[in-house]
Amino acid sequence: MIDPVTLTLWRGRLGFALLAAVLIFLALLPLGGEAGRLPGPDLLLCLLFAWMMRRPDYVPLWLVVLVFLAADILLQRPIGLWAALVVIAAEVLRARTVLMRELSFVMEWAVAAGLMLAMLVVYRTVFVLTMMPQVGLGSSLVQWLWQVVAYPAAVLFTGYMLALRKPSLGEIDAYGRRF
Amino acid sequence: MARGPNNDIELTGPFRLIVVGATVGLLVITFLLWRIEGPRAEALRARITDHIAPALAWVSAPLTWVSDVTHDFQSYARLYEQNQQLREELRQMKAWKEAALQLEQKNARLLDLNKVRLDPKLTHLTGVVLADSGSPFRQSVLINAGARDGIRDGWAAMDGIGLVGRIAGVGEKTARVLLLTDLSSRVPVTLQPSGQKAILSGDNSALPPLDFVEDPSAVAAGDLVVSAGDGGIFPAGLVVGKVVLTEDKRLRVRLEADMARLEFLRVLRSHELDPIIGAGGLLAMPPIQGPPEPTAADLGPATAAKTEDKANP
Repeated sequence: MIDPVTLTLWRGRLGFALLAAVLIFLALLPLGGEAGRLPGPDLLLCLLFAWMMRRPDYVPLWLVVLVFLAADILLQRPIGLWAALVVIAAEVLRARTVLMRELSFVMEWAVAAGLMLAMLVVYRTVFVLTMMPQVGLGSSLVQWLWQVVAYPAAVLFTGYMLALRKPSLGEIDAYGRRF
Repeated sequence: MARGPNNDIELTGPFRLIVVGATVGLLVITFLLWRIEGPRAEALRARITDHIAPALAWVSAPLTWVSDVTHDFQSYARLYEQNQQLREELRQMKAWKEAALQLEQKNARLLDLNKVRLDPKLTHLTGVVLADSGSPFRQSVLINAGARDGIRDGWAAMDGIGLVGRIAGVGEKTARVLLLTDLSSRVPVTLQPSGQKAILSGDNSALPPLDFVEDPSAVAAGDLVVSAGDGGIFPAGLVVGKVVLTEDKRLRVRLEADMARLEFLRVLRSHELDPIIGAGGLLAMPPIQGPPEPTAADLGPATAAKTEDKANP
């Protein structure tokens, strides 16, 4: 028999995996996206941050690695680099779960934007160090701006559509402890 | 609440740090291996893409259909305008049709006279676009033909009109076409009236720039850009596009192929390359034994027929 708390936990993880799969498939569809267009946001990253700030237990380390490594492979990115950066960012957030719960939305937004910018800078630096061709700084910054704009949308989506909220006071986790 | 045999270990403190560090380390090593052993990693990537391609086709078919319908629906708004335009074009086409029919008959007669056989090696096969790269900074598409259809790395891909890119990454059932606009695409081209050689190097913009033009002053906007046979992979003379001069004073190319709507791609089978064996093979031809055989005489009529056929309006 499965107890309801574990069931909710696994439902949350499965939900994240499914959403990620849908986002990757949508990105792969041959609908426009030709060269020279301004890049859109990396919705997968917005989604991860939104979940990470709310219920980090729904996105365990192995799930992050699995999803973002798959994204790297399928979306023609250098394999492993972006996944490594995402894992670091996710763990930075996980280590501050208690703090994140206290933050107002505006502060949470700022934290997400700052992390995304830091990831971008490191990503581009590694590109330079390993001598790989890369797009201009402008396009990368446009993508970052889009991501910052899209973040509240991702939060709204997870909050209202999937009823994913920060745990309230006194809520217990799968092991029966308080958050 | 009972803990039970849960495989999900709660990690805390230094142990957690070690696990995270090890994961990140592994990912970074993966990245470095990819960077060093590019071809092998890309082959692996192609194989994985191969496995999800059928699923992709199922998902993409209805969605592309919806997108096409919306496009068509939007065009209803300009129905009258379009109708006028089409009538105008139809009038012009009728004149061309007459000319084409005449030329076709003439061409058939000439071919018959000369007993010309088209080069059987220059054939093509057509693939349907399944997916694009999925990332705004990579320009490539996936087509539904792969190694089992005999596709090889490096072959040229065209849409109906112009060069689109070349095959980079072949799976069993799918192949990836690296578009001319991708950051890592470099293609040797010839600029037509001036006959100059240049390299078309993609930079993720819609108008890829021309690099290494010998004499930029001899090139004018509107010049035709065709592929050069240099490197021996692309057949020479495939239409690429027209030269444009942008505001930043660079020579760029407006591609002839409709990059926004790639649906069917034509992959040209290229000639097999003779492998270069030994260091000397690159520099000098092997010494010819005895006098060369006379061959130029019997080629005369065929070339003459071709030029005449072009000169006639």
